[in-house]
Amino acid sequence: MIKDYQDVIVKTVARLVVPFIVTYALYVVMHGHHSPGGGFQGGVILAAGFVLLGVTHGLERTRRRMSEKAAGVMSSVGVFIYAGTGILCIILGGNYLDYGALTGLLLVSRPEARSLGILGVEIGVALAVMAVMCLIFFSIFTVDEPGEDEGSTE
Amino acid sequence: MNTFFLVVGVGMCVLVLFCLYRATMGPDVLNRAAGISAIGTKTLIILLLMGAVYERVEMFIDISMVYALLNFIGCLVLARYIEETGEVSC
Amino acid sequence: MLVREIGAVVLLSSGFLLFVTATMGLLRFPDLYSRLHATGKGDTLAVFLSLLGLAVYYGLSITSVKIVFIAVFMFLAQPTAAHALSKAAFRCRIPPWTCEDVCCLTKTRENTEGKNDSAI
Repeated sequence: MIKDYQDVIVKTVARLVVPFIVTYALYVVMHGHHSPGGGFQGGVILAAGFVLLGVTHGLERTRRRMSEKAAGVMSSVGVFIYAGTGILCIILGGNYLDYGALTGLLLVSRPEARSLGILGVEIGVALAVMAVMCLIFFSIFTVDEPGEDEGSTE
Repeated sequence: MNTFFLVVGVGMCVLVLFCLYRATMGPDVLNRAAGISAIGTKTLIILLLMGAVYERVEMFIDISMVYALLNFIGCLVLARYIEETGEVSC
Repeated sequence: MLVREIGAVVLLSSGFLLFVTATMGLLRFPDLYSRLHATGKGDTLAVFLSLLGLAVYYGLSITSVKIVFIAVFMFLAQPTAAHALSKAAFRCRIPPWTCEDVCCLTKTRENTEGKNDSAI
């Protein structure tokens, strides 16, 4: 369990930097078609912001902002957005993940519908990746001290 | 101008080799962490100079920003871990 | 265009010189704390000047604004990392380097005689 860091400089700088990390992660997700980026990279950078908060401010405060239950729900919501877009395309008459079929729903031309469909899928991927990375971080850093359960085995 | 960028880039690579000496032979873990942080900083500049030579700087800016972030967070996590366990000699 | 190129050359050269100085400090200083001084301060200013040089080369555009963002972030983050490392070293009780560790060339027999007599 990570306790609070007790150092003013590192805590203040982390508090200054984390909003910019989150904004930069959203920028990376949105510009996936134009520069290196996309869903997976943006999700990892978002999780890096949470890791920074967890290392400098202690694990309890980070849990208040992103509990494990919320992370589990968000990962499922991300996968649901991805699969849901595919099934929406089937409902509207195309194949699975055939974004051209979204023209009737979004009232734009076919290439723009493809671009917007890819953007929606990337957002789902970023949510799922961020939630899973946060869950991995929490479960690795809350390994209990060896010796707590030994009373029951002996 | 391209020649100048190439010369500075090659000079930075030589400096990275010097920092690698400190990263391998440092008597402590913290010396090695200082060496790795310095190597990360120089890698940032080498990436941007490569982007300037190939005339595609916009692509390399995003990559170097992410690398600066990861360098910072990794250094902090390592310092925190060493402070908790107290094992300095490796 | 020529003014921009000259500005970029000047700033990049000074950044490169500072990098060389900081690396020499990292190699030659006798102690962890002084090496962290060299890395935390020298590398930060060198990165700042080099990135400013690249931003001047690209003029007034979105590219230079992003490069200035990276420069400001490095200015904030690198000294903080050095501070965290030195605090970890202090908590782990790594001893600092003092003057008595070095073979002091000014210590002669006349200097040390009076001191030893008064210690009795």
